[in-house]
Amino acid sequence: MIHQRSIRELRDSITRQEVSVTEVVEGFLDRIDQQEEKVKAFLSVEAESARAQARALDEKLAQGEALHGLLTGIPVAVKDNIVTEEIRTTCGSRILENYVPPYDATVVRSLKENGAIVVGKANCDEFAMGSSTENSAYFPTRNPWDLERVPGGSSGGSAAAVAAWEVPGALGSDTGGSIRQPAAFCGVVGLKPTYGRVSRYGLVAFASSLDQIGPLANSVWDVALLLQAIAGSDARDSTSVQRPVEDYLEDLGKDVEGFRIGVPSEWFSSGLDPQIEQAVQGAIQKLEGLGCVVKEVHLPHTEHAISTYYIIAPAEASSNLARYDGVKYGYRSSDASNLEDMFRSARSQGFGEEVKRRIMIGTYALSSGYYDAFFLKASKVRTLLKNDYLEAFKEVDFLVGPTTPSLPFKMGAKTTDPLQMYLMDVYTVTANLAGIPGLALPCGFSQEGLPIGLQIQAPHFEEAKLLRLAHALEGELAVERPELAVDQ
Amino acid sequence: MAITTKEIEKIADLSHLRFTPKELQLFVDPFQEILDYCAQLEALPTDTVEPTYHALDQERATPMREDQVQASFSSKQALANAPDSSDEHFRVPAVIE
Repeated sequence: MIHQRSIRELRDSITRQEVSVTEVVEGFLDRIDQQEEKVKAFLSVEAESARAQARALDEKLAQGEALHGLLTGIPVAVKDNIVTEEIRTTCGSRILENYVPPYDATVVRSLKENGAIVVGKANCDEFAMGSSTENSAYFPTRNPWDLERVPGGSSGGSAAAVAAWEVPGALGSDTGGSIRQPAAFCGVVGLKPTYGRVSRYGLVAFASSLDQIGPLANSVWDVALLLQAIAGSDARDSTSVQRPVEDYLEDLGKDVEGFRIGVPSEWFSSGLDPQIEQAVQGAIQKLEGLGCVVKEVHLPHTEHAISTYYIIAPAEASSNLARYDGVKYGYRSSDASNLEDMFRSARSQGFGEEVKRRIMIGTYALSSGYYDAFFLKASKVRTLLKNDYLEAFKEVDFLVGPTTPSLPFKMGAKTTDPLQMYLMDVYTVTANLAGIPGLALPCGFSQEGLPIGLQIQAPHFEEAKLLRLAHALEGELAVERPELAVDQ
Repeated sequence: MAITTKEIEKIADLSHLRFTPKELQLFVDPFQEILDYCAQLEALPTDTVEPTYHALDQERATPMREDQVQASFSSKQALANAPDSSDEHFRVPAVIE
């Protein structure tokens, strides 16, 4: 079955011309046709343009043209908060329901230049605000391992599409865990790179000091290849870092003996599901078996991470989302009597509940009288959280622990209690606040057959070494994949 | 720190958002709960701590580039998503009587 193949396998088959790009694309479009009604991972599927691109690539291959793209003929999904030229980009919001961008995000341009085929836009929580994809203004995405459960969020569409084999790889964005948490919930690999490693040009801004685009796929190798294609500095994003991009593939397969692994005791405190703890501890033993040196470390300010994040991220969001006023693009209410009224109507009718809540929290935290107690205070605690990492990374090369405190939860279970939803991000937000890379790796399945993901975090710009460790652990764990709920 | 309905209305006004009385009623409790949770930071001593606004302060070069004219969107492209436009302009309700 073509749709069960990894990017690595597909790439080899296409290069050797054992399979045409059209066959690959048709294979995945067929799979999307079969699964989409159940999974609902896509806000749009671009079947015709995907077929046309496939034909064009096949013609080039038939003429013996050497194609040097890293991803020639590989179908990918792109989260719908990443703009795509001539393809509607909604951010999962009604306010952008009819927005058709006139340009590609830099990462989309990089994918295309490398021969990848964008087959669709993946569902997400509105403006990437959420941990379950239930905040999409259009419909919720379902977890392919249990259709009554959430896929995580906010990149839930990207993760579910990869898990259900609707695409072999996808891009997501991660502001507080939005790649890693859905990757863990869906049993796929997801990487949030170092802040600044990947251009944010064309990523619709949520919290600009935290947002980062990253890849999701079914293996570490595939994630490394996708990162290779999108990493690098960009003149259009002044926060992208001018630093050479490493070769993320060349060290995959090398041993990891002597790597120093820190296990933060704060990540195994109360509130962690015992099945997740057991699976993660089992994986840590495997790391020891691979010759890694494991030791306990401390991140003493972890208990303040959620408070810090849920002040800073909404504060930045309240500023970034001020641009939605119904003037240049987006929803405009027809019943406004004057300009001021038009702004208020567009925003009040166009934004969903959670987005409004975060704009309100952010505006409150930045407002005169509360700025010092909230935004300034949180920005200082951000320094403490970052220093926790700097201290830990003096002693160890990596931190390993869980990605999520709970298994994928039932749809609707947390929608009425936003704070409970926020607490899902406890192990992921600190990487964004400190700007370090983090990777979610499947490490087992629960008794109910739900995926469990561990998390590896590394110092700034250590993606190559991080992927090397994850690749070694992935091989050692050799997690057996039960049959998907959608295939039963 | 109990937040009053009046304060919430003020924040909504600053945010250019409107809530119906029923929406406001549903909004208050979770908002209060989140603020209370976030206010836990207050207990942490931070008098001598510098704030962090950017994760990579040392590497944040934001290099200046040559100020060269480059191709940009045409006004047709820029106006394509506008809810209302006229000639080469975005159109909004009258501001001046």
